[in-house]
Amino acid sequence: MTISKKAMKLISTVFFGTLVISICFAILYPVLTLLPMAFTDLRELGRPNSIWLPSVFGVNSFEFVFRSVMRGDATIMLKSLAYAASICFIQVFMSAMAGYALARVNFTGRNLIFFLVIFTFLVPRQSLLITQYLNFKHFDVFGLFHLILGHDIDLINKPVTLYLLAIFGFSVNQSLFVFIFRQFFLGMPKELEEASLIDGAGFYRTYFKIMFPNALPTILTVGILSFVWAYGDIYYTNYFNTDGPYFGVIIDKTFKDANNWYINNQARQWFDTATTNNLAFEALKQSSILTFLVPLLIIYFFVQRKIIENLDRAGIVG
Amino acid sequence: MKKYKLKYKTRRKIDGFIFVLPWLIGFIMFFFIPIKNTILYSLNDVSVGKNGGIELTFSGISNYINLFTSEVMTDSKPLSQLLTTENISIITNLPLIVIFSLFLAIIANVKFPGRGIVRVIFFLPIVLGLSLITNWTQNSTGKMLIESAGGGMFGAKMGAGILLQYTFLPKSVVNFLAVVIADIFRLITKTGVQTMIFLAGLQSISPAHYEVAKIEGANTYDIFWKVTIPLLSNVIVFAVIYTLIDLFLNSTIAEEVYNFAFNESKIGIGSALSVVYIGNVLILLLVVLFFLKVVKIIDDK
Repeated sequence: MTISKKAMKLISTVFFGTLVISICFAILYPVLTLLPMAFTDLRELGRPNSIWLPSVFGVNSFEFVFRSVMRGDATIMLKSLAYAASICFIQVFMSAMAGYALARVNFTGRNLIFFLVIFTFLVPRQSLLITQYLNFKHFDVFGLFHLILGHDIDLINKPVTLYLLAIFGFSVNQSLFVFIFRQFFLGMPKELEEASLIDGAGFYRTYFKIMFPNALPTILTVGILSFVWAYGDIYYTNYFNTDGPYFGVIIDKTFKDANNWYINNQARQWFDTATTNNLAFEALKQSSILTFLVPLLIIYFFVQRKIIENLDRAGIVG
Repeated sequence: MKKYKLKYKTRRKIDGFIFVLPWLIGFIMFFFIPIKNTILYSLNDVSVGKNGGIELTFSGISNYINLFTSEVMTDSKPLSQLLTTENISIITNLPLIVIFSLFLAIIANVKFPGRGIVRVIFFLPIVLGLSLITNWTQNSTGKMLIESAGGGMFGAKMGAGILLQYTFLPKSVVNFLAVVIADIFRLITKTGVQTMIFLAGLQSISPAHYEVAKIEGANTYDIFWKVTIPLLSNVIVFAVIYTLIDLFLNSTIAEEVYNFAFNESKIGIGSALSVVYIGNVLILLLVVLFFLKVVKIIDDK
């Protein structure tokens, strides 16, 4: 009896363990497939026998990424991280405010605005690409610029466009963040707010001193999503500020198929790679994705524990 | 006293409105005007005038007619075919992704040694699911090399063969399973946020519910279907909507819009396609919500 029970337990443990390990493998698999080529010496690419392990270990493809893709300028990475951080900061700040008002203040038209928030989330952003682009090309706020300057202004390919989008709530998935903050503030105890109001704090003080700091779990959750999406965004950055220092956009543009010949040629000149295959292009592509991922993964590892522990209080559930 | 209270309430309403005001301005500038113009352009022949301005000539619904009859997409397929394949793939992927992420969340919620590191990996799709990264990882040479060496997707075909030979599953089911298995690496990159949503939901269920169910003599199966799922119903709806929108964001229809507008400079046709695109999302969403209502995930209150 006890033996069979023990056996059952062993079997279920083994089954569960195998399941968990295989799921982890499936998640990591896409990244794992990048490693062997990225860490192969550029001159030794294309050896038929090396599949999972590089035949000759080498990091010169990363050196190439630094010299060619980043143009020898490591600040590109820092700049795009700084961009993501500031967008993240703006998004959290603005969406929290909107979410708070939608949850706690009973002003006229509140339900309509909440409906609009959900509706904007449902409409895919690419469907508005044409008109948003034209809108920024001939930017004007309700005819004001025409009135003052006599002409509208061209906001395409200027970084300010992206910040404008974030400030006014329409950067990547920002309606979702407003929604999450609303759900969070709905669930917050009313007493907290009332006590602060009775103690004489005004609306703004109550919000910035009591309500906003207490939203920390939500701030973290929304913050990490916003940061990751802003850093990985090649939609808004590519269309509205295509020449900006965004690492993702640069990689995306560099590794177009049309550049295949150019990159391979460069690799041949700098690193004396084989002329028989064009694998250098692929290897460089893979090492640049890995380079792109590194800062994101580091930040993710630092923040994820705090987020996951407090998920139930983050207001996603509502 | 009464007068003061009234004043306080209006004051609060004004303050609250100031908090939403930036979003509302953004809504008008970056959403309402663009969507209005999209609809307007879709009903007009759009051309660029001499001074860079836009000239419109009203043409009724001819853009839509052209879109469905004469225009072809980049891979020379008609639009109707593109829409059908996209919708079918979204409808099949949607339940798979939702169920799979629920499954991941349930595992991440179980207590076992090494849970910390497993959780780190389970939420990695938030990072690895960025379209920028998946676009490259899905068809990199490294992956192709590994797969050609390993005999295809870890023997998905072989697995299908075994299933066909030794079980009574009909061929269509086995084929479907084989496709799903072959697609697992792509599907799993789309689960990040949904797993997060589900874990939040699972964590918020009070243990008291489970204790009561156990005392009443329910087994694990009953507990899952009668306690967990009903308590997660809101979360399921949220996850379903999120997945649907996410799938649409990455669909090829979006690329076609870009292609019409910027490569072929047919702004009118591109706008018409945008309207069709939005309509498609909303219609499919209604269908899915209706289905959830039928299976009682959404209950009337």
